[in-house]
Amino acid sequence: MSEILSLTTVAETWRIAVPYACAAVGGVWAERSGVIQIGLEGVLLSSAFASVAVAHATGSAPAGLFAGIGVGVIQSAFHGWLVERTKIDAVVSGIALNLLAYAATRMALRALYDSSSNSPSIGGFEVGPRGAEGWQLLLRALFDPVAVLALIAVVASPWLLQRTRLGLRVRACGEHPTAAQAAGLDVARTRIVALAVSGAVCALGGVHLAFDQHRFEAGMSGGRGFIALAAVVLSGWRAGRAAVACLAFGLLEALQIGLQSLFRASPAATLVQLLPYVATLLVLALGIGRGAAPAGIGRAPET
Amino acid sequence: MFAAAGALLVFNLVVAAFGYAPRDTLGAAFAGTWGTAYGTGQVLFKATPLLLTGLAFHVALRCGLFNIGTEGQLALGALVAGWLGPSVGAAFPPLLAVPLVVGASVTTAAALGALAGFMRARLGVHEIISGIMLNRCVDVFLPWVLVVGLGATALRTDDIGAGARLPGLEVWVPAFSGSAVSVAFPGAVVVTGVVYLWLERSVAGREMRWVGLSPTACGSQGVDVARRRIQAMVLSGGLAGLVCAGTVLGYKGYYELGLGAGAGFSGIAVAMVGRSGPVALVLAALAFGTLAQAGLSINAQVPKEAMSVLEAVVILLVAAAAGVTGGDGATRATPGDGAEKGDGDGAESGAAPLARTRPVPSERVP
Amino acid sequence: MTTRGALAGPPLSLRAATKRYGSVTAVAGLDLDLLPGRIHALVGENGAGKSTALKMLAGYVTPTSGDVYVDGRPLTPLSPRRAMSLGVGMVHQHFMLVPPLSGLENLVLGCEPTRAGGRLDLERARREAEALQVETGLTVPLDPPVRNLSVGEQQRLEILRVLYRGARAILLDEPTAVLSPVEVEELYRTLGRIRDRGATIAVVTHRLDEVVRFCDELTVMRRGRRALSEMKRIDEPGLADRLTRAIMGHEVAPPAVPSAVSDDAPVGLAVVEATALRPDGRRGLDRLSCRVRAGEIVGIAGVEGNGQTELARALAGLMPLASGWVELRGKRLDHGTGDPARAVQRRRDAGLVVVHEDRHRDEMILETSVAENLVLGDLGRLPDAEPDTVARRFGIFDVRPPDPEQLGGALSGGNQQKVVMARHLDRPLVALVAAQPTRGVDIGTARIIRAALAERAAAGAAVVVISADLNELRGLSHRLLVLRQGRIVAELPPTASEQTIGQAMLGHTGPSSDRAPEIDDVATTSPGAADGR
Repeated sequence: MSEILSLTTVAETWRIAVPYACAAVGGVWAERSGVIQIGLEGVLLSSAFASVAVAHATGSAPAGLFAGIGVGVIQSAFHGWLVERTKIDAVVSGIALNLLAYAATRMALRALYDSSSNSPSIGGFEVGPRGAEGWQLLLRALFDPVAVLALIAVVASPWLLQRTRLGLRVRACGEHPTAAQAAGLDVARTRIVALAVSGAVCALGGVHLAFDQHRFEAGMSGGRGFIALAAVVLSGWRAGRAAVACLAFGLLEALQIGLQSLFRASPAATLVQLLPYVATLLVLALGIGRGAAPAGIGRAPET
Repeated sequence: MFAAAGALLVFNLVVAAFGYAPRDTLGAAFAGTWGTAYGTGQVLFKATPLLLTGLAFHVALRCGLFNIGTEGQLALGALVAGWLGPSVGAAFPPLLAVPLVVGASVTTAAALGALAGFMRARLGVHEIISGIMLNRCVDVFLPWVLVVGLGATALRTDDIGAGARLPGLEVWVPAFSGSAVSVAFPGAVVVTGVVYLWLERSVAGREMRWVGLSPTACGSQGVDVARRRIQAMVLSGGLAGLVCAGTVLGYKGYYELGLGAGAGFSGIAVAMVGRSGPVALVLAALAFGTLAQAGLSINAQVPKEAMSVLEAVVILLVAAAAGVTGGDGATRATPGDGAEKGDGDGAESGAAPLARTRPVPSERVP
Repeated sequence: MTTRGALAGPPLSLRAATKRYGSVTAVAGLDLDLLPGRIHALVGENGAGKSTALKMLAGYVTPTSGDVYVDGRPLTPLSPRRAMSLGVGMVHQHFMLVPPLSGLENLVLGCEPTRAGGRLDLERARREAEALQVETGLTVPLDPPVRNLSVGEQQRLEILRVLYRGARAILLDEPTAVLSPVEVEELYRTLGRIRDRGATIAVVTHRLDEVVRFCDELTVMRRGRRALSEMKRIDEPGLADRLTRAIMGHEVAPPAVPSAVSDDAPVGLAVVEATALRPDGRRGLDRLSCRVRAGEIVGIAGVEGNGQTELARALAGLMPLASGWVELRGKRLDHGTGDPARAVQRRRDAGLVVVHEDRHRDEMILETSVAENLVLGDLGRLPDAEPDTVARRFGIFDVRPPDPEQLGGALSGGNQQKVVMARHLDRPLVALVAAQPTRGVDIGTARIIRAALAERAAAGAAVVVISADLNELRGLSHRLLVLRQGRIVAELPPTASEQTIGQAMLGHTGPSSDRAPEIDDVATTSPGAADGR
């Protein structure tokens, strides 16, 4: 047991939870503004790729980080623009952008690195002690600059939503777009700005994912965007709770890795992965989260 | 037209970016698809699942629902087909074995659709969220079943018995020799016609369409909206379950992890592009089948994913064109009860969130 | 009182303002002047164009022709934002508040005081709001989410918000429709204070007693035009009667009361002590009782929003009854708590047919053919072959153009209603409930539909007509029941004067000589009270 409940597990939990939490908090930003965003997966992928590509080309990890964030912002805001300005259905747009990100990153892998599976490895940020176990791993996970930025973004988001003009406007647009418009807001613009913030936060997750692996792998987001969506729903569209849910998912996954190493890869342990999805379905079916969603989600202002 | 022009532009840009002459690449793409009988057969093979998933998505959309769960439904169905195929195919003649195996797949997929439909119609859980969650559940569940349940080592089932195989089209059209197209393609075309006819003529089909157009009017006039929604999801799921006919029974002869993956999402594109009728749907499936096959044939020059990029662009362009022109009722069936028009009171009826929509009985005794 | 200085309101005017929606003219060449320091009442029937006139002044509705002036200058561009910047604010009938946000957040939304970095300066907002509250006496809790506030508090918040944005002219659309009597008094006291400081105020209302007690000037609107104007303080006896006449119009209702119903005709439809709750928990129907004999037409009159919709939905089986029940030919129907689709079908099979008021929401699918609309809800339950049924129903009225294959949405309102009525009238009927059967329908078609209703009654059906058109009710019904706040408050003969009916509807308790005798629930709930002539 001590092997499972070790500092390594804590470090692993943290490491695994960061991309989930970033995507989930990004999802909260998008959906609190009233735009359905099932394209988090695609934002994770694109930003992961962009960060690796730029970091590889320039040899600079910060440049990679900014590139990742930039691409995340653009892709997410583009989703907002498609939904709000060209009136494309948000689900269709989300699916198409997921597909686009998946295909375009693979295509770019081939174009840039002539590989169908992964990029060359990059340095990433080198902070903290080396070593793959215990406190060394934990320190490195905690002081990883991307993780620190992610933590700041995750912690700041509830405050931003609650205490700033942008946050207030975002919430108003998500809850009652007609009233927001009557109060003089440009609902479409506010939503696109919220989507840009969403993209930036979510992109931190993508960058973390890539820098953590020190390379980009095709399809490396591996459904994290969808788990994040589950966390958003479970949390009742609240950033803090969504992040906590993601931490729980991270712990489960870390434990599962630990269990597998203990019991020589019992396949039954993979069923633990079902948990976030089943929990989401149960919570919704039992009506625990009733009324928690922004009331104006997916709705344009009337007249 | 707008979408086709846009797609062609993107195609040229991509190809040029890879340093090839667009015209040459286009030539290679044509040669690998409609240019030869083999290529044509491959296109038909690729189009088969797309037609079925497109039809599946279309049926649900006509009832105002987004069956985003086709991906998981077809995978689980195909797994069941691959699991039953070896024994049933060995024990029974084709006339019995094929319907049994396909039927089992259809039933499984339909049950998954029914679950999403029930959760939407009776519990108010939006089908998009439940669809995504069920898809992910299937993703996790499949390898586990293959390894633990079936004891497979290579993430595939055993070869299915001869009785459960579907013959290739080459039996009748020798020119298709070597290509993977089977009788599943003409079968899918027939199914498309039948389903369209059923939607137009049958009581259930017509009421489903009506529910998609105006759930409020249907509810007020005594149409059982909840039941029709569940039925639409069952039918949609069942159609996704038919996909195994082309992949497992007609081509591979076994189920392996990832077989048919992506067809569910591409089906959405097919349904969007081919929404104006059965012929349009078949043509859209052929078009996207062509894209998929063309991607393979130009893979040496331009990665086949270029075609997926094109697909995404086409989806967006078609959706944008529909959005700009107002589109038709079916494509505007937005999440939530967007089709429930005339809701005057924003505070009460405005609450149609993604995760929970009000169950059909709109007024309940507290 | 004058810490903020006087609210010198701008005069507002409409000049020959006309607004058309398609073929419907909401406002026709209206001239209207609102002066600072006055509370101006706009009164009139439903659909008289009052709200549209107000919305033109606030920049929400662009006139089809004519001009809007603020402070003597034309309002351009015509937008709410522009109007607001000129000091014109509107309080909508449906509040434009965001329910989960706090009162303070709602107050500042759109013009938030901020510190550096876009941080909300809620302390400053609170100081300003509290100062404004002291000035105006508009006390509203600022911290709880707005959804927890009472309706009256929400409305005060709306007014406070308009003032917070610097409005000196305040236009209120039916502000008292949802308020309790105490809250109404409170509202007008507040408005009076704001007026006294020089603001321009306009109020749309149905209630004459308010106008008489609280307003300085008034304009009566009928069919988009000005029917009466009083530009001085109104306080004369008999005014209420004059107003009622102006509101209702002077057309003489056809006196031809349909053939009498014999007293021993069996009761076709009875509603007994029915209470139904709206989704917001308020009572849509409040222990409502009434009986309709076979062959009888009962007209339900009342100001809109007093339970008409709920009555029709409850009778149809779409809205469950919290208590009480419905009887058809003396047989009790279930409460409709189960599956609504089943309930609708069962009631229809038993012979209770309901035509709902909102044609586009509840009665028709605009995107499908007329032929399909003719059998909506009847599939699989038709006694005859479907083509025969469609042909028969299509032939009941003269639907134009005579092509059952065209889309329902392509028909005019009158022809759509013909299709709807044909579907319902072709069914075996014990009782027929028709809500607003001629709304948005041309005069010719309206006459045909009324004749069809009378014909079904003559053939033995118990008919209930719910209508906002008093002339229609008086011309069609054997008896009138007046619905107010979910109850039957009066039973009148169709020959009752316009004033009598109007005052019962409006709940007028002012100094009128010809006051309607109110029948309280005590009387109506005792069995047999409602069916006596």
